[in-house]
Amino acid sequence: MSHAAITDEFLPTTQTELCRWVGENAHGPGLPIYPVGGRTAIQYGPALTKKGIALCTTGLARVIDYPARDMTITVEAGIRIEELSKILAEQGQRLPIDVPHLHRATLGGVLATNTSGSRRYGLGTMRDYVIGISAVDAEGQPFKAGGRVVKNVAGYDLCKMLVGSLGTLAVVTQVTLKLRPIPETSLHVWITFDRLSQVDQALERLTTSQTRPVSVDLLEPRAAAAIVTEAGLELPVNRPVLCVGFEGTANETSWQADTLQDELRPIGPHGDHFVQHDDASSLWFALTDFQVPSEEPLTFKANLLPSRTVEFVGAAQQAGCTVLAHVANGIVVGQLPDEITTVSAAAQRLESLRALARKSRGNLVVVQCEDSWKSALPLWGEPEPGWPLMRSLKQQLDPRKLFNPQIVF
Amino acid sequence: MTTATASLPLQMPAPFLDGLRLILGEAGLLADPDELLVYECDGFTIAKNAPDVVVFPTTTEQVAAIVKLCNQYQIPFVPRGAGTSLAGGCLPVGGGVMITLTRMRKIVEVNLRDRYAIVEPGVVNVHLTNHLKGTGYHYAPDPSSQGACTIGGNFATNSGGPHTLKYGVTVNHVLGAEMVMPDGAIVEIGGPVEDSPGYDLTGLFVGHEGTFGICTKVIVRLTRDPAAYRTMLGVFNSVQDATQTISNIIGAGIVPAALELMDQGIIEALEAAFHFGFPLDAAAVLLIEVDGLEVAVDEEARKIIDICRETGAREVRSANTAKERLLLWKCRKQAFGAIGRLSPSYCTQDGVVPRTKLPEILDFITAVGERHGLRIVNVFHAGDGNIHPILLFDERNAEQVKRVLIASDEILNKCIDLGGSVTGEHGIGVEKINFMSKLFAPHDLAVMAKVRAAFNTGQLCSPQKMLPTAGACGMEHIERKAPGRHAAM
Repeated sequence: MSHAAITDEFLPTTQTELCRWVGENAHGPGLPIYPVGGRTAIQYGPALTKKGIALCTTGLARVIDYPARDMTITVEAGIRIEELSKILAEQGQRLPIDVPHLHRATLGGVLATNTSGSRRYGLGTMRDYVIGISAVDAEGQPFKAGGRVVKNVAGYDLCKMLVGSLGTLAVVTQVTLKLRPIPETSLHVWITFDRLSQVDQALERLTTSQTRPVSVDLLEPRAAAAIVTEAGLELPVNRPVLCVGFEGTANETSWQADTLQDELRPIGPHGDHFVQHDDASSLWFALTDFQVPSEEPLTFKANLLPSRTVEFVGAAQQAGCTVLAHVANGIVVGQLPDEITTVSAAAQRLESLRALARKSRGNLVVVQCEDSWKSALPLWGEPEPGWPLMRSLKQQLDPRKLFNPQIVF
Repeated sequence: MTTATASLPLQMPAPFLDGLRLILGEAGLLADPDELLVYECDGFTIAKNAPDVVVFPTTTEQVAAIVKLCNQYQIPFVPRGAGTSLAGGCLPVGGGVMITLTRMRKIVEVNLRDRYAIVEPGVVNVHLTNHLKGTGYHYAPDPSSQGACTIGGNFATNSGGPHTLKYGVTVNHVLGAEMVMPDGAIVEIGGPVEDSPGYDLTGLFVGHEGTFGICTKVIVRLTRDPAAYRTMLGVFNSVQDATQTISNIIGAGIVPAALELMDQGIIEALEAAFHFGFPLDAAAVLLIEVDGLEVAVDEEARKIIDICRETGAREVRSANTAKERLLLWKCRKQAFGAIGRLSPSYCTQDGVVPRTKLPEILDFITAVGERHGLRIVNVFHAGDGNIHPILLFDERNAEQVKRVLIASDEILNKCIDLGGSVTGEHGIGVEKINFMSKLFAPHDLAVMAKVRAAFNTGQLCSPQKMLPTAGACGMEHIERKAPGRHAAM
């Protein structure tokens, strides 16, 4: 984020205070408002060009109601994910979303950016867990939707509307979540293959596997090396890796690991390793943190049909990218190589990858790059058919474009 | 006072009807008043209003052409699937054209590797599941009306069902849709891939109750079949013990695939209908199903049986064969059909409470029944806290009917007081529209109205649905005269 564009910061400690301030801005100066939480996704989207004020939600971090026996919690949106996880863990519960930088990331930020990771395959994404929401519109008026019960179809589902809306429609102040029990244990099977075509065969086999993984990731060797280093583990990294995660009782996870090994044997993997206990936790963290914008010149995310993802990963690898794919979901996170030093080189490299994603019913967005490159790149990918409806929604809810005005679909 | 039944028939201009015939052919529409009577209501039989014409398009292009023609002549229109809505979701409040989608019933594509299917809106829910048999995949949402209800209708109302406890409701299984917008434009939202850039329009559109346009294709996520099931029947001497058991199971961090409660009244009707062998002297039974890996289900079932015994179950039976399991589920899903044995008419409610408040709401329902001299039986999705009290009555007794309406409102108001909702899966439609301002503040509703205006600027597409402020003549003035005779849930 171009910090030069942020002239001030407002840090409310109550929703009332937040409403008043947003309302005064709307009826007064009408400055752009940039909602922020833990600022972990601050690179996302176009560069800021208009001077405005950051609206920081970290002062809104109270637990409103935690009826643990209902497996729901209502909390303010500025709570850090680490803090939230700690509170839930005391009751043996969790919000099963993989969040990088969880000591900084806030619930509101995770919701607004629809953050997810490897476990989305088995456990879903934020849209599956948010059952109630309170937010403040661009006029400073509070509104809510959903409720505190796990099943509810009264009114439009504004929770879904706000998940992934990047702070462009309203500022989320309070969230009610559906929770899950913490599993007894987890285990990864780290399988190396000589060729990507074998990975494709393995994925085909997985569609009728007797096992029920919670994650299915494909790592090309550069990503595998980075993740193994981050996790402090010793695992083979010089070939493509299929990393399959299981959660449950010790009995369930070990049975599944053994079964998967048997099922994939005919494909002839180069080798496989079980990652268990503390090492399994370290690996979850490393897989999650990989998607965080790094020192690389540009990070992108492609979404496409799962069956076409191995082909895409092959092409990205050929293009020198470091790539992790949540391959059974068709989600690919990649980094352009260091040798890309100009925006035109970046645009060229991305264009062919985007074309491949488009051919596979998907798209490609830029997650992070230098601010000076942003105006020259199609950050949100090629236009989607639903974008005119999204602009219409923005026009209704924030007609003066006060919230994150730089983001337009 | 106005009533939904009192709206004047619209004059259908002859060129408009000719235009419809040109789009659909003579076999594609009904305009004879006698034939239209079938379409005057859905599963919510209180409010009735026949449409002026019913059309049966077979393609998206026909739907778009119909909608454009309606715009040209300023005629309101409303979509309809199988008409199993229990809240008047398909009621043509302002008359006009009813666009019935049951002839759009092709399963367009099934892609197992990418775990999705594309279906037309008129595909019956269970037909998709039948189509997938043997592949190892299924479509998870399974409303009890799944033998009749359509996937387009499920999309419109965000339908639930017994297995939503573990697998989630319709919205958790929809990836995208093709919509004919209220102006006739055809737009694809979402798609077979995840995380398309931009807002989650798919998530917002599921449950729109026809107010954002007409869905002409749905892209649904397919789910792996569970490897193993264990289905149990916990038998209790008191409803309190049964509800406490539910609370304890969830509180112990166990998420069964389904957790359903049936009380004595319903057991009696079911036993008479199906001869399953339900204990007639039990106050309540819990139908509990766990699914997952063969290596895991026994352990989970054992934990549940222990909890049942600790909370006073006098017996826990297990379904020993697949046939027995299917029969148990048949009983549960057809419970409503069996009600006819208890009473000439009945009214089902669809409230939700936090799961820990189940004992409290069940006590309240009993007290309401006693206070109003009404018999109320219960069969519901207990694990989700989604209650379905069934109020029995005789519609020939006007005074009794009045008591049923008062009792229903008391129960739903109590759900709100306990931190719940007035609908878990049936929708707002026209039935619950008066409750919207009890659940939501004026500005909450104003934001929802803006959201609708983003997609539906005119007054023609599904007028007077969902939001109390919508439309010219307020539905808040509708006075319900008789409770519905609801068919299934």
